[in-house]
Formats: sequence, structure tokens, C-alpha cells
Amino acid sequence: MRPLLAATLAAFGLGLAATALAVSGEPGFDPVRLGPWTSWPQLGAPEIDPYERANVAMDGFAPIGLNEGLSFIARADDLGAPLDARCDYTISGTDLPARLWTLAAYSEGGRPQANPANRHGLTSAGLLRTDSGDFVIAAARQARPGNWLPLGSTRSFVLALRLYQASTSALSSAYDGLSLPKITRGACP
Amino acid sequence: MSARISRLDRAIGLIPWALAVVFGAVAVHLLSLLALPALAPHSAYRRLAANLPVGEIRLLPRATPDNPGPSFSDPFAFLAVCRFDLTGGPLRLRATADGDHPLSVSVRLADGAIVYSGSDSQTPGGRFNILIVTRSQAEAIDAARDEQDEAAAADTGELRVVAPRSKGFALFRLLALREGEADEVAAQRAGFECKSEKPPA
Repeated sequence: MRPLLAATLAAFGLGLAATALAVSGEPGFDPVRLGPWTSWPQLGAPEIDPYERANVAMDGFAPIGLNEGLSFIARADDLGAPLDARCDYTISGTDLPARLWTLAAYSEGGRPQANPANRHGLTSAGLLRTDSGDFVIAAARQARPGNWLPLGSTRSFVLALRLYQASTSALSSAYDGLSLPKITRGACP
Repeated sequence: MSARISRLDRAIGLIPWALAVVFGAVAVHLLSLLALPALAPHSAYRRLAANLPVGEIRLLPRATPDNPGPSFSDPFAFLAVCRFDLTGGPLRLRATADGDHPLSVSVRLADGAIVYSGSDSQTPGGRFNILIVTRSQAEAIDAARDEQDEAAAADTGELRVVAPRSKGFALFRLLALREGEADEVAAQRAGFECKSEKPPA
């Protein structure tokens, strides 16, 4: 009787631990990585697998549907250093193939960051650009001239870039030609 | 020698128990994984729609630090949510885009799976007219409708979405182009419709 109880408890413990481990990492399989940006296109598709579905439910987010657009997350700069809100960052690029795109800063848990300006992101419609259509965004705690993305008081942060009604297909090799903004670290304390 | 044989016997005796633990652990893992979407306390369905009466639209405020909504919500997205339970009949969604602000609609099951998503640029005139039905309701509608009805439905741009399970929610996502467009967005969201329909005979 005792070995049966021990085996049952061990099976439950190991099984639940494996589930906890499975939903604690990245939200999906087969990520698309473009520089520091990562996307999980299957999260918005009908054929999402059970691991991704459990992950999405536990994280409590409602991913953008496949035909709504594309969503990317960055936790590091172009050189791979984790994003640190004490530093200044330059986010630069050319216009993206979408009807509208937005860029926002979040805490690690996915909450918009409180900041004195009470602004939590930028959109492609409100950006200042050069004549060629290029843009430069300054992400920093202190106000900057031009396109400023305010950062919050927590040290680490995450950037989310969303391309709504993107002209690239989420499931095709069109990602190959997609050029996402560069994230360059500037002054740090 | 006899002590070694006895240890070997004991080790061999443990093999069935070890296999039972492995198989049991795999079973517990798979069952708990499949059950998680329904049990997760903070899933999008539980947060947004679980307490919402069927056929009622809830307009959600934009994501802010004090009211973050689902994780990684876009601060420029104004969401509206509507719960469905198709056991009482199909659900019809209607929304019209103003042409300036991108609008998209997705139909999601309670476990988070997205069965349909589309944006205003993919619909005629930026109008959504979606009928969410079960497989049996779809068959009943097809059997009851004659060719004229089919043509009339096609004229209205009706899109029928067959949901594999009866419970879920629809999410309208209307995007502000810039900060401070709450009024324009509110006026457009007021036109969103979500109505239960009588089950087909």
C-alpha cells in the first residue's frame, strides 16, 4: 500500500511540475526572430497547440488574431543586452508594411509603465519622420525632443511592436524581407 | 554473493513502480495541460467575458498602468467584448469601420483559441456582419434557407463562423491613431452590435 501511495504522489508531483515548467517559459514554439524582436505567429492562429493555449491562458493575454496583424516583443537591444530603463535607447528604422503600427513599453509582466508624461506608446500615425520616411524614436525616462517614448521607474522593461493589417502574411516566408526597427543603447549610468 | 543477488532482485522489483510513475506523470502532465485554459484564473475569457450576460457588449477602457487589462494590451487599442453561448442560439455581430481608425474583430473560444479574425480592410465597405453558429445550427440554417435567402444573406455580406465549441467571446479591436482620440473612438464603438438570435428550426 505504501509504495502505491508513494508512486501516486510522485506521478502527481512530477506531472504538475512538468506542466508548471511548460507554461513558465516563452509563450509559444517556433518563434520568428528578427534581430531583438520575437514573434509567435501561431498564437493568433486557429491551430494553436495545447502548450501554447495553456501558456496564453496562464499569462492572461489575448493575442492578436492572424488576420488582425503581427505582434513582436523585444527584451534586449540589438547587441543582446537586456533592456534597462536607466539607459537611453534609440529605436530607428524605415516605415513598416502595415496600415498602422504601434510601439509601447511594458513592465516584465506586461503592464504599461507609469511615467510622469502619462504616455505609454507611439503610433506610426503620430511620428515625426525624415523626408525619406525614416524615423528615430528616443526611449528614455527624461523627456527628449522629437519622438519620445517615456520609460517607467522599474529597471527592466519590454518593448512591444504591433503591425496592424500588415501586408506580410503571418505564416509565410514574408518575414524574411521584413526589416524591423533597430534598438541601440545610448548613455547608461 | 547472496546479498548482491538480493539487491539486484530489489532493483528489478522497482522497475514496474518506476514505469508506473513515469506513465502516471505523463498522464497528469497532459491532463493538467489540457485543463489549464479552462481553469486559469486570469485567462482573457475569465477577465473579460466570464461574467458578461450573453449578447451584451462591454466596452473596455484602454490599457493604463492602473487598469492594464490583459497582459501586453496595446495602449492605443480600444476593445469591446461580447460573450456567446451558442446553446441558446446563434450570435450576430455587427460593426462598421469609419475608414480612418483600423477595426478588427476576432471570435475566440473560452479556452482562448481564435476561430476567426478579420480586419475592416478585408470586409465589404468596412462592415462586419458575422453570424456565429455551431455545426448543427449551420446545417439547420442551410436546410431552412432556399436559394433566394442565400442570395439575400450574401448581399448583406454575412459571414458565417462555425464555432467548434459553444462558449466563447468576440473581441472588437478599434485603434486610435494618436493620443487623445477617445471621443472619436467612443462614438464608433457605440455602433457595435452583439445579439443572440433564435435557434434555427
